[in-house]
Amino acid sequence: MSSLDSITPAEPARQDQAIAVPTGAGSASLSTEVSFRRARSAAKRQTLRDVGLRVASVIALVSIWWLLSLFFPPSLVPKPWDTFAEVGVIVTSGNFFTEMGATLRRVLVGFGLAMIVSIPLGIFMGTLRSLESFFEPPVILGLTMPGLIWAVLAIMFFGLNETSAYAAVAVTIAPMLAISIWQGTKSIDKDLIDMSKVFHASAWSKVVDVILPQLISHILAAIRYGLGLAWKVVVVVEMFGFSNGVGYQVVRGFNVFSMKAVLAWTITFLVVMIVIEFGLIGWLERSVTRWRPRVEAWRR
Amino acid sequence: MAYVRVDRAVKFFPREDGSEMLVLDGVSFDAKEHGITCLLGPSGCGKSTLLNAIAGLEKLDQGEIEFRVPGSTLHPTSHIPDLPARSPKLGYVFQDPRLLNWKRVEDNLVFAFKGMKIPRESWQGRLEKYLSLVGLLSFRKQYPLYLSGGMRQRVGLARGLAIEPEILLMDEPFSKLDQLTARQLRQDTVDICARLGQTTMLVTHDVEEAAYMGDRVVIFSSRPAHILEVVDNPLEATERDLDDLAFIRFKKRLLQTVLKLVDQEGV
Repeated sequence: MSSLDSITPAEPARQDQAIAVPTGAGSASLSTEVSFRRARSAAKRQTLRDVGLRVASVIALVSIWWLLSLFFPPSLVPKPWDTFAEVGVIVTSGNFFTEMGATLRRVLVGFGLAMIVSIPLGIFMGTLRSLESFFEPPVILGLTMPGLIWAVLAIMFFGLNETSAYAAVAVTIAPMLAISIWQGTKSIDKDLIDMSKVFHASAWSKVVDVILPQLISHILAAIRYGLGLAWKVVVVVEMFGFSNGVGYQVVRGFNVFSMKAVLAWTITFLVVMIVIEFGLIGWLERSVTRWRPRVEAWRR
Repeated sequence: MAYVRVDRAVKFFPREDGSEMLVLDGVSFDAKEHGITCLLGPSGCGKSTLLNAIAGLEKLDQGEIEFRVPGSTLHPTSHIPDLPARSPKLGYVFQDPRLLNWKRVEDNLVFAFKGMKIPRESWQGRLEKYLSLVGLLSFRKQYPLYLSGGMRQRVGLARGLAIEPEILLMDEPFSKLDQLTARQLRQDTVDICARLGQTTMLVTHDVEEAAYMGDRVVIFSSRPAHILEVVDNPLEATERDLDDLAFIRFKKRLLQTVLKLVDQEGV
């Protein structure tokens, strides 16, 4: 029962221990400092290796493409470098930025609308049982609804204009975002909520200091999936008869049966996606999770 | 000045099958003003539930918790009608540190300052005072996950103290630490509490901890909990020495009470 009973009887008296305080704190600081430095250099090596592996993966994909192009006519599988040259033409021709800009705008506006609705919805569903029961059926239904059908419905309802693109994107991804945040809210640490109650934290402080930081990884995951889904829907919408956007350009390539154009537009699109994914979202993730030690001992 | 009286506290917990389990069976005692009152009892007996009720995290099914602090009273049972209602200022040190890991050490304290409406001018002074009291001033800009378990627990302690509570509640705050760290922190806490003079209630299942820290020891039975005995420590805080005979005698007396009572309860 008494945790100190097992210790040897030759204990130093209380006065001796008092001296031990600063020493203890000092040595702790030194050893943590050393372990930080070691962790940092190990992390650097790992990052280098990870980048190398990613480059290797891209080279492997292009090689497979090149191998395939040896067996098929260029109208079906064009040579990789011919396609890359076409990408260069598209980018330098000037209409790349307006087309990509139009698509990006549709994605971002739709995405923003979905976020505005689903973050509070997800938090409420995770915290209030009655709202969970009420909103669960529509959210699950919405999740199973194909984006193509939302695109058709939006265009029939709003006509061929920007509103229908925004609406189709927002409605398609909102349920997915809401589910992610709803589940995240349910996994929030109740002990920390109790702690914030004990110290009389305001409702605002509870949300901003206690709840949202615990949701941040769920929100980031939701942003990743949401953006991926948004791209897919927006291209479908654009194919239905819009006169600009990447989807429209792909359809134009299809109409003249130019595999090169279809692939080239797809590639530009993928590159922009990757820049957003690794650059923007990666940066966002790093800057909001600085408090978490980055050593992942359990991974190889 | 800051006194706490627990009066016939009764608490039921719902079971899975819908029936109710009696956790607190009419618990009454007075906390020692300006001293440390240890609530000693076997694990799972309801001590922590009572502490949560005092903190306002749980509601009692029957009974009262009465506070009297300078300025006013919380509960209608007290008999000073003229004073406006005011909650006592409560600090809480949890069994695990319960820090906001995404905030730096000092911002964890500031979080409590903001909640307790402590004027901004005094933040800096309090941060320095209480972080150096627990020996962590040089770690004020660090994130908690980069600290050791003992250091994190000390941040939790600093947070509980820094709001300068009238009543400090501690729920087995050292039970998850290694012996040496726990020992050091017990001693530091006794010294700090003696210096600050707030009324402190500490839940523990460790007899030696109770004997060492408690100016008063309230012994709980196993569930459903009632009070078996309330013992005042014959030794002043400064006289308590783990190897001293008088201390060992007091510890033994507590242990015997606990064992005898546990025996009677048939556990």
